[in-house]
Amino acid sequence: MSVALKMIGIALLDATDVLGALLGVLYLAGLWKLLEKSGVKGWWALIPGARDYQLARCAGREPEGRVFSVSGVVMLVIELLFVLLGNSKAATIEEIANQVLVLTVLLIAVLFVRWIYMLRVFAGLLNVYNLRKRWLWLVLASYTRWLPMLLWGFGKKYQPEWKLEDIKAELARLATHGSATVMDEGLTVNLEERSATEFFQKKVLLRDIHMTIPQGRMVLLLGGSGAGKTTYLNAINGYEKAKAEVMLNGSNMYTQYKKMQYEVGFVPQSEMMRGKDTVLNTLLDAAKLRLPRDVGARQRRERVDEVMEIFGLKPVRHNLVDKLSGGQKKRLSISMEFISNPSLFILDEPDSGLDGVMARELFVQLRKIADTGKIVIVITHTPDRVIDLFDDVIVLAKDSSRTGRLAFYGSIEQAREFFQRDRMEQIVKSVNRKEEGGDGLADEFVMKYAEVQYG
Amino acid sequence: MAELNKTENARRFHARHRGRGAQVWIYLGKLLRMFVYQSDWKVLPMAALIAGLVGMVIRKKMFLNMEGTLMGAFALVCVCIWNGCFNSIQVICRERDVIKREHRSGMHISSYILAHMIYQFLLCVLQTGVTLYVTKLTGVQYPSEGLITPWLMVDLAISMLLISYASDMLSLWVSTLAKTTTTAMTIMPFVLIFQLVFSGGMLTLPAWTQPLTQFTISNPGLKVIAAQADTNKRPFVTISDMLNKMGDNELNVEITMGQVMDLLTDDEIPTIAKLRQSVISLRLGDTQETPDDSVTVGELLDQIVEDPTLQAHRGNSYTLNITVGKLMDVVGRERLKGFLEEKAAQASYKADYALTEENVISYWMHLILFIFAFAALATVTLEFIDKDKR
Repeated sequence: MSVALKMIGIALLDATDVLGALLGVLYLAGLWKLLEKSGVKGWWALIPGARDYQLARCAGREPEGRVFSVSGVVMLVIELLFVLLGNSKAATIEEIANQVLVLTVLLIAVLFVRWIYMLRVFAGLLNVYNLRKRWLWLVLASYTRWLPMLLWGFGKKYQPEWKLEDIKAELARLATHGSATVMDEGLTVNLEERSATEFFQKKVLLRDIHMTIPQGRMVLLLGGSGAGKTTYLNAINGYEKAKAEVMLNGSNMYTQYKKMQYEVGFVPQSEMMRGKDTVLNTLLDAAKLRLPRDVGARQRRERVDEVMEIFGLKPVRHNLVDKLSGGQKKRLSISMEFISNPSLFILDEPDSGLDGVMARELFVQLRKIADTGKIVIVITHTPDRVIDLFDDVIVLAKDSSRTGRLAFYGSIEQAREFFQRDRMEQIVKSVNRKEEGGDGLADEFVMKYAEVQYG
Repeated sequence: MAELNKTENARRFHARHRGRGAQVWIYLGKLLRMFVYQSDWKVLPMAALIAGLVGMVIRKKMFLNMEGTLMGAFALVCVCIWNGCFNSIQVICRERDVIKREHRSGMHISSYILAHMIYQFLLCVLQTGVTLYVTKLTGVQYPSEGLITPWLMVDLAISMLLISYASDMLSLWVSTLAKTTTTAMTIMPFVLIFQLVFSGGMLTLPAWTQPLTQFTISNPGLKVIAAQADTNKRPFVTISDMLNKMGDNELNVEITMGQVMDLLTDDEIPTIAKLRQSVISLRLGDTQETPDDSVTVGELLDQIVEDPTLQAHRGNSYTLNITVGKLMDVVGRERLKGFLEEKAAQASYKADYALTEENVISYWMHLILFIFAFAALATVTLEFIDKDKR
């Protein structure tokens, strides 16, 4: 076989001999049909590297698909180098031996990685096709892989549980176009789209979210897992920019981010503090970072004392953070952000790990902060025990295109009426996807709210 | 009320916050507190322990001969790299989430890294001091005279500090790349092995891998310590030691008459010279006159050797059964040892290890370049911390 033919064989079919090429053709034919079944163009099967990624997408294993695909390309390059090396006339035997040694070591390392990721991708594919795990035995050996691929690709009884093309079609159907009027005071969000590109593929994480939140409101942010709650919060505080205009008290959060970042207090889900520092030092350092530099040491200390008083941290001020209880850690985490007296206060599950009494105490404290004219936005998964403390609720839902959408924004009472459900947890269940144990009504509520909002 | 709010908002909006310089001090203070509370201080007794172990191994060899000095230099480089790497390999990845939060609150990454650089520098200074002190205690005989400063200990301290600090910065960079401490500790052995294997001094590397040595801290590290220890001037003792060990081994030496004749007339060989100077009395025939019948063995041997009949047989060869030890005794043990050590040292001479100001300064510069390059890479890498996937 000529070198060129050999290289083409490796590149297209991952084969170095005639039998391998024949099996490769069968595998690709099966893959072509399988990709089409999942709503992906069949010709992707002909492109080395990309075909692995598309297969992983069909298996619902996109992150694994990236490594699977890259390892495929690297292996291909190594195999091509082997062919070139075997036909090299210029190099000495010793040079060739060295290069072969390096390539072999690389090949072994890549082969191992590829094998593991292939296992993960095909395990995902078996789930999508609702097949038994024993199929993996056929898949793992390169000389039998063509058989399951042909069967799954051409066999009518093998059908995927979901298709990628369904998701794509829904994207256009569910688009709504509106905008919120910008207020001088309070928060105005006009988010068109928040997307992320992963492995050359654009993913829309959030779209069409428009709202105005007046000062002094305590807002509950609801949504199922993966609905984009944290993404939304990061987008409105300018940390992860979206295609949007976010105005806080008349200033643009995006164009003036450096100035505005001190106007937003973001309390993350996990504590994110240095465990081996004392409470007092943690707060003093937070004060140094967050307060303007014209605030003197004495004023800083007074502010720290004031915040410790508000959040009941004075008795433990000399304790190491690691030694605090869960509730104390939460309060310290909130205190760090509260030190700069921000206009917008965002808390991502501040009550996780707290019992009912402690959680309520914490939310009462947040209510007090909102009553001083601040906007407080809170994500919580147990909202009903403290719902009386909130003014408004935002409901985000993952639509059928798996994009986070605004399903509702308004007062608590309006929400109950809109969703025809009394409890907030029931509202979350109503918009959650069926496979997540929900009612799968996200699209309906998204469209209904768009009609209510824009007519 | 609305007007008041607007004024307050405007005032807050225009307030200036702490800049990069001021933030460095905030983080330096934090790191110094961590030194006490987070048990970072443990790196100092660890450095002493490692130095003690290494010191006990190298004390009888370093600065005494070429091989021992080179091995000792390599051991010191390993200690420095080990100390430096383990100082900082976890410091950033262990608090990655905290950094993300603080970055969001206005922390400058460059200030954070600079604070680490200052803190790690102080750690490395202390570790270098501890290492030199402990190795001296174990009995390593450091010569007193330095090249750049009047004291060799100070010269060596600067080199060891730069090696430790460059390794420290390399690990700091790895710590910014790794998302978790587990990942960092998985990468660490590869970094260490790469540094030690590709130092270019101890292992003979294939030609095509030689360029890789330029990317290791151990390469200029080993060169600078080997140069400062004046390795090239130290005797190369392996061959003479080996000959001593082979003393009882028998040799079947093929020797010609000419070689024996030359040997017997060689005044350079102490044993032969001594023999040749011995005086013997000759009593010729039965004469009673003994005016001046004494003659030296040398004169006698010269007469015999110059005999034309004997000269005609110079090419005749004979087999000589002799042990290595006896042969060395004939040639002169000390003379042979000196000769072999000198010649072997000349053959092993490396321009890279020459004790010159030019060499030492260039290696220091190489290490300083590594320090700043790794610190810059750490800063750039950490600037992307917000891109971490949630």
